[in-house]
Amino acid sequence: MSMQTTHVSASVHHALGWIGWRLLPAVPFVVILLAWMIGWHVFEPNKATLPAVSDVFHAVWIRALDGDLLMHTTASLWRLFLGASLGIATGIVGGFIAGLYRKVSEFINPLVVFFNAISGIVWLPLMIGWLGIGTALAVFVIWNTVFFIVFQNTMLGVQLVPQVYEQGVQALGGGRLETIRTVILPGALPYVLTGIRSGLGFGWRALIAAELVGASTGLGQMIFQAAEYHRSDIIIGGCLIIGTIAIAIDHWILLPLEQRTIERWGLVIDVTRKQ
Amino acid sequence: MSVAAAPSTALPGGLRGFKILLPFAVLIAIWWAVKAGGGIEDGLLVSPLQAWDAFVHLATHGVLAEYASSSLRMIGIAALLSMLIGVPIGFAVGTNRYAAHSLEGFLRFLQSISGIAWLPLAIIWFGFSHTTTLVIVIYSLIVPIIFNAMIGVRAIPENYVMALRSLGASRFRLVTDVYLPGALPSIVVGLRLGMGYGWRALIAAEMLVRKGGLGDLIFGARTFGQIDRIMVGMIIIGCLYIIVDRLIVQPIENLTVARWGLLRL
Repeated sequence: MSMQTTHVSASVHHALGWIGWRLLPAVPFVVILLAWMIGWHVFEPNKATLPAVSDVFHAVWIRALDGDLLMHTTASLWRLFLGASLGIATGIVGGFIAGLYRKVSEFINPLVVFFNAISGIVWLPLMIGWLGIGTALAVFVIWNTVFFIVFQNTMLGVQLVPQVYEQGVQALGGGRLETIRTVILPGALPYVLTGIRSGLGFGWRALIAAELVGASTGLGQMIFQAAEYHRSDIIIGGCLIIGTIAIAIDHWILLPLEQRTIERWGLVIDVTRKQ
Repeated sequence: MSVAAAPSTALPGGLRGFKILLPFAVLIAIWWAVKAGGGIEDGLLVSPLQAWDAFVHLATHGVLAEYASSSLRMIGIAALLSMLIGVPIGFAVGTNRYAAHSLEGFLRFLQSISGIAWLPLAIIWFGFSHTTTLVIVIYSLIVPIIFNAMIGVRAIPENYVMALRSLGASRFRLVTDVYLPGALPSIVVGLRLGMGYGWRALIAAEMLVRKGGLGDLIFGARTFGQIDRIMVGMIIIGCLYIIVDRLIVQPIENLTVARWGLLRL
């Protein structure tokens, strides 16, 4: 009897602990929100310097209603989609070729290292002259960022496939294409996906930076225009939306994709890269 | 940003250098041919020779050194401050199970808002100044460092901590003998990622703040349509990043991996 009560109370305790544990990640957000609200009422800063929490929500709400926010968001997402698709496609094809042919990778590697170092936003001043301001410029900057990361990871993945497997398929009479399809493609896939995930993280950053000066629409442009009118409520709201979109893409598209492949392939890759 | 060490075929030094330089020679030849053959005007593309002239001009007048040292100083200060502040925070958070769990999501959220997105707000707060640039770069650098220092500490087997504690080690000894060596490989991973984010944020911030630095050099040249200066600036930015990454960050990484064994977290 007494044993049962302790058991029950322990499980209640356990359940409470579990709920508390699940709620714990919300704590920093709540603390900052409260500190911001209280601090704002105590110090009453200039609205242009630090808006009230309600101002931020209000500003976002107004822009959500009049369709402004939707327009900027779709502009940014469309560019991300175009640039990332291009970057992923060219990166995978290029990475495969470089991974399969030693001579190609040896020749191209120094160039990749160099152009990776100037990938993305560094091209902006030159490309404004070539492509003008707008979607083409932003797409180029994203492509440029995503390509090198996907390329390098694909190449690495292809090179790291143990030759024993290739030889196994070849010994059983598999041709070159057969080997690529059944061995190298699945073997390299986890690396390709890691590259895509990391590339999109850098790509989204590069896009926002490119939009600050190189576009007339998009979330980056929205916050840049807001700065001219000292509308920090729009800027903070915009930053929160930018972060939320990045998290959403990573959490609902890229992470499941990566994990499913890893589970299916029974592989474990570097946890530190999975942020 | 995972780059495998190139398979180190034992080539004699001269041949290796040749193998690295050859692709660039081919690239420059193509650049030259496109410029000469396509009849492209100077406002769009300059020839390699014109870029070289611009480089010599910028270098001999001391302008280039000024722009480059401004950028390097900025990233150096930011990296140093981020390590000094970020690692202790990461340790403090990582040693507490509850703190680590509560802050993980928040840090992930911060990391997904790029530093450059805060630039408009930083400009309102600190004006078009070096402070603005520094704040943005530190923000970009410090979040991955805190995050990875935290993960690194979490990954240390608790036995080591308890063993030292039962022998009467102080908290300071725990940090120097367990946390620091145990978390170092992870911290270096964070530093490398942070440098990748931070360097790009720095260039972008310099473009908009326009108070010196290589980003200012190439963006300022844009307003005057000086393509030669832009191309020189881009090449310098690439070379400097490779030098910083290969000569400073990667050796630290190799050193920790070599000393601590291949500790993959």
